Amino acid sequence: MTQVILGQFLNGIIVGTLYGIIALGVTLTFGITGIVNFALGQFMMIGAYAAWHLTDITHLPYPIAVALAVVIAGLAGLLSDRALFQFTRNNLVNGLLVSIGLISVIESGAMLLYTATPKNMDFVLSGAWVFGDITLPRMKVATFGVLVVVIALTWAALANTWLGRATRAYAQNPEAAALMGVNTQALQVGVSVYSCALAGLGGAVYASLYSLEPSMGALFILKGVEAAILAGVGNLAGALVGGVILGVTESIGSLFLPTAFRDAYGLIFLVAILLFRPNGLFGGQK
Amino acid sequence: MHYIARIAATAAFCVASVASLRAQEVVKLGQIEAQTGPNTIYGWMGSQGVPIAVDEINKAGGFKVGDKTYKLELISLDTRGDPKEATIELKRLLEQDKARFVFGPFLSNVFVTVLPYAKQFDGKFLLLGGATRMHDFVGQPGHDFVIRTWNWDAGPSGFGERMVDYLIKTASPKKVAMLFQNDQGGKVLGEIYEPLFKAKGIETVTEYFEPGTKDFTPVLAKLAAFKADYLFPGYSDAPLYDIVRQATEGNFIRKFFLVRGSLGPGMKNKDGIEDYIVYVPKYFEDAEKISPKVKGFVEAYKAFYKREFPYDQAPLCSSSCYDHVYMLVAAMQRAGTVQDVGKIRTALLSFTYSGVWTIKFDQRGEQIFNFDIVHLKKGGELQITRVEP
Repeated sequence: MTQVILGQFLNGIIVGTLYGIIALGVTLTFGITGIVNFALGQFMMIGAYAAWHLTDITHLPYPIAVALAVVIAGLAGLLSDRALFQFTRNNLVNGLLVSIGLISVIESGAMLLYTATPKNMDFVLSGAWVFGDITLPRMKVATFGVLVVVIALTWAALANTWLGRATRAYAQNPEAAALMGVNTQALQVGVSVYSCALAGLGGAVYASLYSLEPSMGALFILKGVEAAILAGVGNLAGALVGGVILGVTESIGSLFLPTAFRDAYGLIFLVAILLFRPNGLFGGQK
Repeated sequence: MHYIARIAATAAFCVASVASLRAQEVVKLGQIEAQTGPNTIYGWMGSQGVPIAVDEINKAGGFKVGDKTYKLELISLDTRGDPKEATIELKRLLEQDKARFVFGPFLSNVFVTVLPYAKQFDGKFLLLGGATRMHDFVGQPGHDFVIRTWNWDAGPSGFGERMVDYLIKTASPKKVAMLFQNDQGGKVLGEIYEPLFKAKGIETVTEYFEPGTKDFTPVLAKLAAFKADYLFPGYSDAPLYDIVRQATEGNFIRKFFLVRGSLGPGMKNKDGIEDYIVYVPKYFEDAEKISPKVKGFVEAYKAFYKREFPYDQAPLCSSSCYDHVYMLVAAMQRAGTVQDVGKIRTALLSFTYSGVWTIKFDQRGEQIFNFDIVHLKKGGELQITRVEP
């Protein structure tokens, strides 16, 4: 039993990184543009379908397909920002409404292009590592590695580069950042696009693990928002930790309690944390 | 004489105009299915098949009932699998569009929600849907409007009963683990199959998962502890692809038994599975080679949508789909009316239709049709068993 629990603990960590990458996008977008972009799940779906299409239909090597999927999701993010979100900056309600509308548009587009039939990418990295009763699929481990590296690099860039410092400065005080020469307009567009590209990356690696359907984004944006709130919106490293906590809670909870309420376990944990730490686990640490 | 000729010409023109108006009379056909959303799989094929039949009938000049010629007008609405949306749409179809025939829903949770509203229109319309939960209401007093367009699982003609018999005959399992979606569709499967397996001496354990679940590893690990001979997962392809992949990749279980869902997940993981026994209303890849009507439908689909035929989803056209439009038209012609739904219902239940499927209804109003059991083995070897209930 110990090995089963350990196996599910590791599985929860791996799944949690997927929540983490969306949470990172949520927290970045909210911090810089003042919008909770609920359509990030759909940008994840764009990345997923793009990776699947480029790999299984166009027969490109998977790493190239992932890179192109990230670019496609980023471009879609740029388009949505120029066409829609630039008009809703720092207006939470308008931004929310636009992002909810965008969900239907993108989802319908995917339905039109690829129908509702689930798409299942051919195995990229088949097989699993077996340690006693613990089985870890190789692709899941590789996915975990890629996502952790990307999140760590994002965090490092924000901490150590001029652009990163400008981003953090803008999040703390937009007027002061503008007075110090930060091009706030370009920064907002850049962060918006980067968040969508991150979601696209999440989708591209997701495609190698799970089946794709046009509505797949809804679940992950909820988890991403939950993870961001759990960590404390605005905390970048916390986004990953929040995602992992959520993933582990769901995995271990499902093992001992009815699986039918899996989503509730993460939410109960979130509520419990917010009762004691209303700003999230790492709230206050910017 | 000239005066008489003018009157005659005017009269002839009026008669021709009335005849023309009559010729344009339409029978409205409503449809409420999930065309988008997470449970799209079940409504999608119906919403694909019905327009083809409507188009074919209209292009052929419509259909005659008595001395009038009618065309069909399809109002197909997307429920997105949302019961509230479906209720609003049904209200629109019945009150605004005055439709007397509504195809769908395939989803039990949608049916259960629209039922109280639909009951108010008993005797005024027919609801032809595939939802499993419809079985409880077919033929019940005050529910004449309910026509179920899919085989029932249990009983002597039940396809599930036949499937379980096949499983016992070919594999003699002692334990079966069931994993269903936590909704009406999943619950009803549990209610049907737990006693069915028990009656045949097979031990079961049942777990339910949250709709939209993608990572099944924890529940599969839990079920693996039961050491089941077969995993019986359900009920739509969206979770099945993930369940089959994760069950085989994680080495939890490699033998599957399905009564809902397609062959697709098994084929995709054909090297990881050991056994994959699935109920397929029609194995089109095979059937199109031997049946001209099936071949015709495949060709019609390709021509109408200008895309490849969806072999994995097409078996679900066995419910409220292409054949059923023709069947309904035939029932109207037999009843001699397009308005008296009572007579049309009686006519519909009185004959066997031979189209893509051979379809008839029992006395209660539940469909009985021929189906295939597809047995997929490791590596992709297929064995098809045709069943005529």
